[in-house]
Amino acid sequence: MPTNLVPALDPAPLPGPPWLFHLLWVVTFLVHLLFVNAVLGGSILAALAGPRTGGRETQGFFVAANSWAISFAITFGIAPLLFMQVLFGRFFYSATILVAWAWFGMLGLLLAGYYLNYVAKYRLRDGKPATAILGVEALCFLAIAAIQVTVNLLHLRPARWQGVADRAWSALADPTFLPRFLHFVLAAVAMAGVMLAFVAVRRAARGADAATSRSMAGYGLKAALVTTMLQLADGFWLLFALPEDVLRSFMRGGAATMVPLTLGILAGVVLLVVLAQITDPLAQAAKVRRVAELIVGAIVVMVVTRHQLRDFYLSEARADEQVTVATQWGALLLFLAVFVLCLGLVFYAFRRAATDRPSQGEQAA
Amino acid sequence: MDYPIWDLAMGGGVLIGIVAIAHVIVSHFAVGGGIAIAVTETLAIRRGDPTLRGLAKRSSLMLILVSTVFGAISGVGIWVTIGLVQPAATSSLIHLFVWGWAAEWGFFILEVATALLYWATWEKIRPRAHVVIGWLYAFAAFMSLVIIQGIISFMLTPGRWLETRSFWDGIFNPTYAPGLVLRTGICLFLAGAFMALSALREAELSARARLTRLMAGYQVAGILIAYGGYRWWEAALPDSVRTIFGGDTPLLATLAATRSLALWLLTAYLAFALLTLLLPRAQRWPVAAIALILAAGFFGSYERLREGSRKPFVIRDHMFSNGILVGEIASLNEKGILSKAVWAAREDDGTTIGKGRAVFRAQCSSCHTLDGYLAIRPLVATVDEDMLGGILGTLRAQGEAFTQGDGPVATEKLDYPLMPPLVGTDEEVEALKAYLIGLQPSHTEEVARAN
Repeated sequence: MPTNLVPALDPAPLPGPPWLFHLLWVVTFLVHLLFVNAVLGGSILAALAGPRTGGRETQGFFVAANSWAISFAITFGIAPLLFMQVLFGRFFYSATILVAWAWFGMLGLLLAGYYLNYVAKYRLRDGKPATAILGVEALCFLAIAAIQVTVNLLHLRPARWQGVADRAWSALADPTFLPRFLHFVLAAVAMAGVMLAFVAVRRAARGADAATSRSMAGYGLKAALVTTMLQLADGFWLLFALPEDVLRSFMRGGAATMVPLTLGILAGVVLLVVLAQITDPLAQAAKVRRVAELIVGAIVVMVVTRHQLRDFYLSEARADEQVTVATQWGALLLFLAVFVLCLGLVFYAFRRAATDRPSQGEQAA
Repeated sequence: MDYPIWDLAMGGGVLIGIVAIAHVIVSHFAVGGGIAIAVTETLAIRRGDPTLRGLAKRSSLMLILVSTVFGAISGVGIWVTIGLVQPAATSSLIHLFVWGWAAEWGFFILEVATALLYWATWEKIRPRAHVVIGWLYAFAAFMSLVIIQGIISFMLTPGRWLETRSFWDGIFNPTYAPGLVLRTGICLFLAGAFMALSALREAELSARARLTRLMAGYQVAGILIAYGGYRWWEAALPDSVRTIFGGDTPLLATLAATRSLALWLLTAYLAFALLTLLLPRAQRWPVAAIALILAAGFFGSYERLREGSRKPFVIRDHMFSNGILVGEIASLNEKGILSKAVWAAREDDGTTIGKGRAVFRAQCSSCHTLDGYLAIRPLVATVDEDMLGGILGTLRAQGEAFTQGDGPVATEKLDYPLMPPLVGTDEEVEALKAYLIGLQPSHTEEVARAN
C-alpha cells in the first residue's frame, strides 16, 4: 500500500511566475474575505437583532447589504480559487474529494442562504417578521464556513488523508479546527458589527432618526467589542494549537512572519481599546471610523499570516516539487487589460448611477 | 487517476451533466436576456412605449434572481463538480487557461455589478443612463461567453494546440467560431422564450400581442442563427468525432438518436415560434411554456451530444476520460498503472483480486460503477475467461496506436473506439481479469457458499 498519497505535480508548466499567482491570490482573497465577513457576520447579527438593537432597521440594513455582498463574495471567491488551483491543485482537489459530499453540499447551502436573504428582504419590506428566516440563513453560512475550514485544514496536512479516507468524520479531528473556525466567525461578526456602526453613524449625520441610529451603532460596536475580546484569546489558542513543526518554522521566519503577526495582534489590542472608549457612537464618529480602519487593517495582515502558514504546512510535502514556468505573456496581458477595463466600467456605471438623476418633474427610467 | 476517487452510484459524468445542463441553460439565458432586455428598453425609450419598459423591468428581476444567484452558484458548481469527478482534467485546463478564466472573471465582476445596479436603479435615474447600464451588462455577459466558449470547445477539438501548446491555438480551435455562433443563437432564443412568459402578464390585449410578436421575433432569429451554427459546428468536427454520432452507421446509436432528437426539437420549436410570430394574439401560456421546454430540450440535447462526442477522451487526443495522458501510456505500461494511481493502489491488499480491484478503480471507475450507472457486473456476467482475456488484450493493444503513430489517432478505426486503452503491466492486466471474473454471479455465489 502506498505511503505517499500526494498526487504527482501537473506536468503542464505554470503559465506565469509563481510570485504573481501568490500576489493575485492574496489580494483577491482579501477582497473575497471582506465580503464573506460582511455576509457571515451580517447574517448572524441580523438573526440576533432584537427590538432594543434597532431590530427591523438592523435586519433591513443587513439583508439589503447582503443581497450585494453575497454576489460579490461569490464573484471574488472565484479568483483566489483559480490562482490557488494553479499552485496547489493536487493538495486542494485531494482534500475536497475526501469530503466530497460536504464540498458538493456547500453549493446547496449557498443557494439556500442566498435565496433566504431575498425572502427575508421581501418579508421585511412587507412588514412581516423575518428573524427565523435570518436564523436559518445564518446557519447556512456558518455551515459553509465550517466546510471551508475543514477543506483548508485537510489540504494542508497530507499525512491525515489516509485516516480521513477511511473515516470521513475524522476530517473534523484536527486540533486547530475549532480555534480556526472560531477565528473566522468572530472576525466576521466583529467586522459586520463595525460596518453596522459605521453606516448608522453616517445615516445619523445625514438626518436619520438619532435614537434608531444610536441603537444600531451601539449593537454593532458591542458585538465587535465582545467578539474582539474573545478573538484575542482564540487567536493565541489557534497559534499554540498549530502543529509543532509549523509553529517552530513560523516563529523562526524572522521579520517576514513576525511583523505581520505582531501587527495583527497589535491591531486587535488597539481595536479593543478604541472600542471600549466609545460611549456615544453618534458623538464619536471619528473613533467609529478608526475602528473600521483598524479591523480592515487587522484582516489584511492576518490574510498575509494565513498565507505564510500554508507554506510552512506544505514545505515537507512540496520539498521535491520541481516547477517549470512558461509564462503566457499574451494571455496575461489580455487578463490585465480586461481586468482594468472592467473595473473602469464598473466605476463608470456606479458614478453614472449616482449622478445622472432626473431633476424635478423629469421622468426616471 | 492519481487522486482519491469519489464513489457515486449515479456516475460522476451524470452528476457533471446535471449540474452543467442546469448552469448552461441559466447562463445562456443570462447572456441572451441581457441583450434582449437592453434592446427592449432601448426600443421603449425610442418609441416612448411604457409597455415595453414594463416588460424590460419585469424581466430584469428574473435576470437578477436567476442569473446572479443561481447562475453564479451553479457556475461555481460546475467547477466544484469537475474538480471532484475529474481532478486531473480540471488541473490540466486550469494550467492551460488560467489567464482566460481570469479574464472571464473580470467580465463577471462587471456583469454582476451592472446586473444588480440595473435592477436597483429602476425609477431612480434617467432612462438613458439606465439603458447604458443595461448595455454594459449585455456586453459583459456576452464577452464572458466569448471567452468560455474557447475553453469548452477546446476539450472536443484542441486542433493545432496539440503541436504548438499555444494558449491562442487552444482558444481559437476548429469549433470555436461555429460553437460561438450556435451559442449566440441559443442565448437569443432562450431569452425570447423566457420573456414571452413575462409578456403574457401584460393586461392590455394589443400591447400584449405587440410584446409577444417581438419576443417571437427574438426566438425565430435565435433559432435560425443556432441552426446555422449547429451545421457549421458539425462540419468543423474531425471525422473521428463525427462518426461517433453521424453517418449511416454511427458508433454510438444513443448519441445519434440524441442528435436526431435535438434537430427535431429545434424544428418543432421553430414551428411554434413562427406560429406565434404570425398569430401573436393566439399566444397563451401553455404554448409559451411548450416553446420554452423545446428550447431547453434542444440545448440540453446539444450539450449531451457535444459531451458524448469526446469519448474516449476528456480532452481529445490529449487526456483520456480516466485521466491518463496519451503521452504517458508507454511509461505506465512499463512501470504499472498502480505506480501512479496511488489512491486506487490502496485497494491492493497483496492478493490478485485486490490488485485487480485497484486496477479497476484506477482505469475504469471514472465511467463504470459496479452496480449503478454503466454497471460493470452485468457487462461481464456473460463472458467467459477467454473472451474477457481477448477483450482486455485488444484494449491493451489499442494503446500501441497512440504510442507508435504521429499525431491524432483515427479512433473510429479501433476495435473499441469509445474506450481508453488499457494500460499497465502484464501482471496488472491479469489481476484485472481475475477481479472481473470474480464479479460474475457464479463466482460470487461460490464465494458466498464457501463462507
